[in-house]
Amino acid sequence: MLTSTIIEERKVSLVVIPLTIVALAIAPSVVSGSQLITMITVLQFATLTLAWTMFSGPTRYISLATAALFGMGVYTSALLRDSLPIEALVLIGAVAAFVLAFAIGLLTLRLRGVYFILFTFGVTALIRSTVQWWESTVSLTVGRHVEGATNETVYLLMTIIFSLTLVVAFLLRNSKTGIALVAIGENQDAAEHLGINVTRVKVLTFAASAVFMGAAGAVMATRFRYIEPAIAFNPLISFLPVVMAIFGGVSRLWGPILGTAVLIVIQEFLITEYPFWYLLLFGLLLIVTVVWLQGGLVELVERVYWWLKIEWIKMKMRVKMRWREWREA
Amino acid sequence: MTGYSERTTIIDSAADILVTGLILGGLYALIAVGLSLQYGVGRVLNVAHGEFIMVGALATFSLFTVWEVRPVIALGVIAPVLFAIGYGLDWWLFNDLRGSSVNEEHFEGRSLLASFGLVFVMQNMILIYWGGQHRGYTYLNTPVSILGNRYGANRLLALAVAVGVSLALYVFIKRTRLGKAIRAAAESPDMAAALGVNKRRVLATSFGLGAALAGLAGVLYSMMFQLSPSTGIELTIVAIVVVVFGGLGSIGGSLLGGFTLGLVISFVNFIDPSLSIVAFYLIFILVLLFKPSGLFGRELHAD
Amino acid sequence: MIGTKKIAPFVLALVVALVATACVESSDDTTTTTAAPTTTAASTETTSATETTEAAVDAPEKILIGNPIALSGPVAGPAETTQVSSYDTWAADVNAAGGIYVAEYDQRIPVEFVRVDDTSDVPTAVALTQQMIEEDEVHFIFPPWGTAFNFAIAPLINDAETPVMGCTVGSKQLVEQAADFPYFYTMLNQYFDQGAALVELLEDLGVTTVAIIHHDDLFGIDFNEFVKPALTDAGIEIVFEETYPLGPVDLSQTLRAAQDADPDAFLAFSYPDETFLMTGQAIEIGFNPDLFMASVGVAFPAYREAFGPAAEGVVGTGAWNPGIDTEDAQGFYDRHVALHGAEPDRWASAACYATGQVLEQAIEAAGTLDPKAVKAAMDTTTFNTILGTFEFEGQFNPVYPGQIGQWQAGEFEIVSPVDDRTAEPIYAKPEWPAG
Repeated sequence: MLTSTIIEERKVSLVVIPLTIVALAIAPSVVSGSQLITMITVLQFATLTLAWTMFSGPTRYISLATAALFGMGVYTSALLRDSLPIEALVLIGAVAAFVLAFAIGLLTLRLRGVYFILFTFGVTALIRSTVQWWESTVSLTVGRHVEGATNETVYLLMTIIFSLTLVVAFLLRNSKTGIALVAIGENQDAAEHLGINVTRVKVLTFAASAVFMGAAGAVMATRFRYIEPAIAFNPLISFLPVVMAIFGGVSRLWGPILGTAVLIVIQEFLITEYPFWYLLLFGLLLIVTVVWLQGGLVELVERVYWWLKIEWIKMKMRVKMRWREWREA
Repeated sequence: MTGYSERTTIIDSAADILVTGLILGGLYALIAVGLSLQYGVGRVLNVAHGEFIMVGALATFSLFTVWEVRPVIALGVIAPVLFAIGYGLDWWLFNDLRGSSVNEEHFEGRSLLASFGLVFVMQNMILIYWGGQHRGYTYLNTPVSILGNRYGANRLLALAVAVGVSLALYVFIKRTRLGKAIRAAAESPDMAAALGVNKRRVLATSFGLGAALAGLAGVLYSMMFQLSPSTGIELTIVAIVVVVFGGLGSIGGSLLGGFTLGLVISFVNFIDPSLSIVAFYLIFILVLLFKPSGLFGRELHAD
Repeated sequence: MIGTKKIAPFVLALVVALVATACVESSDDTTTTTAAPTTTAASTETTSATETTEAAVDAPEKILIGNPIALSGPVAGPAETTQVSSYDTWAADVNAAGGIYVAEYDQRIPVEFVRVDDTSDVPTAVALTQQMIEEDEVHFIFPPWGTAFNFAIAPLINDAETPVMGCTVGSKQLVEQAADFPYFYTMLNQYFDQGAALVELLEDLGVTTVAIIHHDDLFGIDFNEFVKPALTDAGIEIVFEETYPLGPVDLSQTLRAAQDADPDAFLAFSYPDETFLMTGQAIEIGFNPDLFMASVGVAFPAYREAFGPAAEGVVGTGAWNPGIDTEDAQGFYDRHVALHGAEPDRWASAACYATGQVLEQAIEAAGTLDPKAVKAAMDTTTFNTILGTFEFEGQFNPVYPGQIGQWQAGEFEIVSPVDDRTAEPIYAKPEWPAG
């Protein structure tokens, strides 16, 4: 009863997604420069979280490779920024991430559960340490400067990438592949027996989701300005989207977005007032979510919504009955 | 960018690689043994394991520098406290997750995420109590001569403890009643419950024991390294790699896996130290790809 | 009709997201206008009671200095020891005198730090700096801790035409970029001065063979690249050289190999964690060369505390100590200890304190708080600081009390350049004490 059908969600999304995109597009003329900078961070993590959820949400394969895929885009910019326009960097970064994700997908076909999680983590760490070794031993540069771009440009590009992620995530959920992903998440063997080409679905979806991560990386490099392997492949970039998605709730399209927005706001607020406590709060929120609110904020919001609705209906009925009584008196 | 002087004999070099590798391996095994127990019995991949180690290490540091308590004595305080904390965590948090999870894989994922939240919580508390400074002290730094080369006594102690603890644990699980109950609970929880084993208590005990072992590792770790609140995650990674390498769920596997890993890294260090971290992660993912059950299998579930 | 019951959650999400960003703005505002969190400078507000006679109406109440820096995360410790404490000591000193005198308002105005946590994350530091520049509420910006962080914000502050002085930054790239970023200044002595002084020391002591190890990061690589040819020119032989990755767990193999090469001097271009590790392990394996040198970390009081008598004779990069003959060195030391209960380090702390002095004197010379005018003043003023008297040369501070130091009887004495010595170097280093 608390879950909506996919058809209803589809109808709502058809209205709200365009509204969101329009709102994002209007934002620069309404918000201050400082707010715009915050929104860029929000868009970065919203994109990563949404892209992560595309694959890891329904299939329940928790991927920790986000940093590796994002980092591919970052290094694309770091290496080619001076020779190519930013649009080209975004495309190349996206393709590079796609290729890497495709490879990881093929390698992990037989890995499940904890092993899959650990492998994605290990491969990211391997890439980070290899790039570090390469930069310090072969190219002898380690740190690279990336020429910046205006806040407006970065915001615009991130909005486009985020919007594309959102649209693709929506289309995926409402497609046969989307249903196949859920089936895989419920029972991979049964799905296989039902005739689903599990290999193709998993690998292609994982690789497709990486496209947006790589694209985001290529853009954000211009914001980071200074790149080192530890910055481009920062493990937090893998962990935070997981926390945000789970906290927000992966069963709805808007769950990860809500989770991202709420956590970033909390973090920005706590960082200025209580620099140490935000870690504590994040941790507690995650534990609470995992144990009691498995559906995340989505579940909380929907429960509250339905509770309110039912109370409203009950109240209406009480009023009606009293009215009738009064009339008959 | 390497260069090393002439070694007097090849045997010298080989001896050095061997002993250094075993010492390093002993350290690895010590860091990993607590996690191995927690996952082997309770199927909890406790990513906060490194934080427990850091608590043990920092507590030892404080006791040593402020009250001049020797680390061995400090252990007597730290181990029970961490045991209690671990016990409580399992009794309330992980047990709850066990009950409400659909299947084992579901539980493993959720407990991993919950322990991840625990990382944030514990790091924050460490930061609040001890601050962000790097801290350190040295203890038992004296050189000991083995096969013509000298090694730190504190590192040799860590090696001895690692071996001793692993053996003791092995015997404990195989021979004692509580140990057998633990094995039963790990192997077949429902059967064990039917036979009168208090599953909840046994699981909590093993988790607590794992936390106490983390404290032990921390005590020894603090003798040799500078401590900072962010080291916890690095230690957890080492523990996970060792545990996977040796076989998730096998205590003996962690010991042997730790030693093997130590020897391999020691050898790589001899060739080109700048590649040692790369080698570390490469071994990790190769094991996951080709032998996910680890090199030494799952003896907690065997015989 | 469409299923309005399902629109609500989606719209709610959208509204929350937009409201969220609006709320962020208000919390950002509070950081810049009200007092920042607990770590702001203890600003003794003796405002210009005696000098209000002709105060301009539009004089700001405080000179606000924005400082995005690590208050949490892996580098928060060093940031606190070296940078934040020194900045705060300076602010306390300035405010005790009533503040900085700004001719434009004919008034002394106290300073206040607006400190925000970059959580030891470079991109966060960049975003925070951007926001500070965008909001335009602070008068000046002091940089975060660390080379990577300083590099990342250099282009930003340069475009915003507000001068910034780095005191915890060291790299070859600074020289290459100085022309590109005229608004970025470096207060800290760099590897080329330290490397040259190191070789000078080795020559002076009659060292003939050295073993070198370094990490695979910018600092170690740059240092090594500079020192190696200088050693060869001086006729000193490099009998061992090895690179190790950042964050090592065990350097004993490397140290033993260096030991086998039997060098007169052992040089390590390292970061604090590695410095501490290799010292401990050198003691463990009994590696006792006549000269034992490591880079970052030796000059920390924590090093002396961690190793006690074993620190005697260890050489490190730096260098400054409270006993030097510059203006107020001992005073800085005393006030730092009084305010923070901890000593300043013997390398960068002084540079960070001097940063404040430079800003103060530049403002006084310019007579205004306008960043461009202050920057122009920085290029032409002669500064009187605890590091000595100097003028910037190409945005670098060419004067430093010492480059290489050595722990002797609990103090970090300057042993190189030879002309700047505060004590004769101990050569050979005493044996590591037993136990």
